[in-house]
Amino acid sequence: MANIAALRIQREFKEVIRSEEVAKCAIKVELVNDSFTELKGEIAGPPDTPYEGGNFVLEIKVPETYPFNPPKVRFITKIWHPNISSVTGAICLDILKDQWAAAMTLRTVLLSLQALLSAAEPDDPQDAVVARQYKEHPEMFRQTAKHWTYVYAGGPAKMPDLDDKIRRLTDMGIEEHNARVALSSYNWDLERATEQLFS
Amino acid sequence: MTTEEYDTEMDYSDSDCGDPGYEDYYNVHPWDGEGDNDIDNDQSRRDPEYAVYDCLRIEEVERLLNEDVESLSNSLHITPSLAKVLLHAHNWALQDIIAKYRTNASSLLINSKIKPLPPLDSLSGLKSQRNGLCSVCVAIQSAEKFSTLTCGHSFCKDCWCMHFEVQISQGISTGISCMAQDCNVLAPEDFVLSLLTKPNMRERYQQFAFCDYVKSHPQLRFCPGPNCQMIMRSKEQRAKRVMCSSCKTVFCFRCGIDYHAPTDCNTMKKWLTKCADDSETANYISAHTKDCPKCHICIEKNGGCNHMQCYNCKYDFCWMCLGDWKAHGSEYYVCSRYKENPNIAHESVLAQAREALKKYLHYYERWENHSKSLKLEEQTLEAIKMQINKKVMNYSGTWIDWQHLFAAASLLTRCRYTLQYTYPYAYYMEPGPRKELFEYQQAQLEAEIEDLSWKIEHAETTNRGDLENQMDIAEKRRVTLLKDFLEKNSRRKEEGRGERERENISEK
Ligand SMILES: [Zn+2]
Ligand SMILES: [Zn+2]
Ligand SMILES: [Zn+2]
Ligand SMILES: [Zn+2]
Ligand SMILES: [Zn+2]
Ligand SMILES: [Zn+2]
Repeated sequence: MANIAALRIQREFKEVIRSEEVAKCAIKVELVNDSFTELKGEIAGPPDTPYEGGNFVLEIKVPETYPFNPPKVRFITKIWHPNISSVTGAICLDILKDQWAAAMTLRTVLLSLQALLSAAEPDDPQDAVVARQYKEHPEMFRQTAKHWTYVYAGGPAKMPDLDDKIRRLTDMGIEEHNARVALSSYNWDLERATEQLFS
Repeated sequence: MTTEEYDTEMDYSDSDCGDPGYEDYYNVHPWDGEGDNDIDNDQSRRDPEYAVYDCLRIEEVERLLNEDVESLSNSLHITPSLAKVLLHAHNWALQDIIAKYRTNASSLLINSKIKPLPPLDSLSGLKSQRNGLCSVCVAIQSAEKFSTLTCGHSFCKDCWCMHFEVQISQGISTGISCMAQDCNVLAPEDFVLSLLTKPNMRERYQQFAFCDYVKSHPQLRFCPGPNCQMIMRSKEQRAKRVMCSSCKTVFCFRCGIDYHAPTDCNTMKKWLTKCADDSETANYISAHTKDCPKCHICIEKNGGCNHMQCYNCKYDFCWMCLGDWKAHGSEYYVCSRYKENPNIAHESVLAQAREALKKYLHYYERWENHSKSLKLEEQTLEAIKMQINKKVMNYSGTWIDWQHLFAAASLLTRCRYTLQYTYPYAYYMEPGPRKELFEYQQAQLEAEIEDLSWKIEHAETTNRGDLENQMDIAEKRRVTLLKDFLEKNSRRKEEGRGERERENISEK
């Protein structure tokens, strides 16, 4: 079985490298070791989304039973998205679970993840806090996702007012990322974020 | 669960000491389905808990299922394997399936994932074995090495086999589908078994498939007893009390957990989840207590004031930020707000949480308490059984003289059991006259039960007539509570059937 996994990954690796998406810098895949059991993926934030301009790194682990079982994929780059955990990077996507088919490839996975960034599914959330914001405060969600893209994925949009609020908390001795998480979770309500951090 | 109790009950009804009088008493309120045929309709009408069911072995159920499979396969002229897929997909509603097939066979086959969704994606079908290349293992192989389902997606036999093995090792059997992307066509049993070679894998596949068939069959329910292989069959499909004839486990036929009348299955599930995570208690604790920042002792907040003083080390601190109170004043923008203007909305949330908790604890404590009493009274039952045995052995009377005590103790258990399960029901009831009536009846049952319990504990001095009178009253109260529920429950059953059908439709 392991033999099929290695053969498939070698072939798929080439498929991704040769694909038109790579030519357009939309997806990318690199080997982490030479046993083909782990890869590093990269997807570009799709245009007209808060992730535009960002570059998101993925950890891809290939199980021995690949392709009969799906690869294990998570975001290394921190991201604010209803279907991706803002803490662990774990992804809630059907094709990485029960909707996986042995005939799917790494390229399908990367393109599906990119599609997920374009069209979130808040009714099947991985991160309940993000999903609630997405539904109840869509504009707040866009701002937050854009801000995270800027900070963690090299996105273009700097947001001074949000940075300001974070500084208020870091001045009080809160670690920057924790401050960002608290503020993001409380729709940038400084008061409630503070309350949560200190309780 | 209280299996032992019923166990002993069984022992007694089986034993030769069961004289006619004893049997008569017991049959007035048959506690289990044994001897269904002997009990006439009149009695089943009188006893709201009366349930008709069979306790079957695997082979018997296999035979039953195969009858349906054969019957469907004959009337539609399809393979038994496809008949199984259809029956499993439609909860074994044989006549329903035949009717649907006659109206629109193709739509039925598509909905049951036997045929692919139109338009048939012939392109990817070809693609999956372009030039003899299997797209899964990326190896080139000769044409006879390939197999395909009705969708036309072709993969090599080794890959199919590997696919099946991986799925089966994850407990999947009837749900194994095609390996192509976006294809949901299911692999029927004959296809799987024709490609699966390892004997142990074939065996596991068949075991899992059988489990799936039983679980999809509304008239069948696995016995939840540990390592028990028996299967209950009831045409009623209701939340009734059934007992496994093999391991004596007693459970609710509809949901398979401990029998729970008068609470319905869904409410019971909600209640048990609630008790398990006990989240309200946790919320209460976190909302009302914090650790002292200096000596780390647990402090409860008792007023609206945020200026706290630790009762242990006398440290003055701020409830909001746990900072030194002396440093407070103007520097901490957030805390000063709380100090000047205690957050009323926040407080009212706390007040609400407190109310919710109080309500939950009220019902939970009673639920727990009766559960504990039930366990104690099981011991009493055991003790009485031993006492009677001893008396009979010493020729101080026969079973006839003492059996009323044993009957009283079993009846007490039964009443207590029902009473315990009235609490989850009451907890979720909407306030109003119905709830008031229910809680009134509940209180009455509770009073009679405590009276009965006292009389049994003081059996030596209790007059037999008194005791039997008390038994009669308690059982009447119990039946009153149950009747209301079981009648409502049977009305719901009709609604429930509609629900199941809607679920099937939405699955498609
Ligand atoms: Zn193959
Ligand atoms: Zn297919
Ligand atoms: Zn059993
Ligand atoms: Zn139930
Ligand atoms: Zn202290
Ligand atoms: Zn403070």
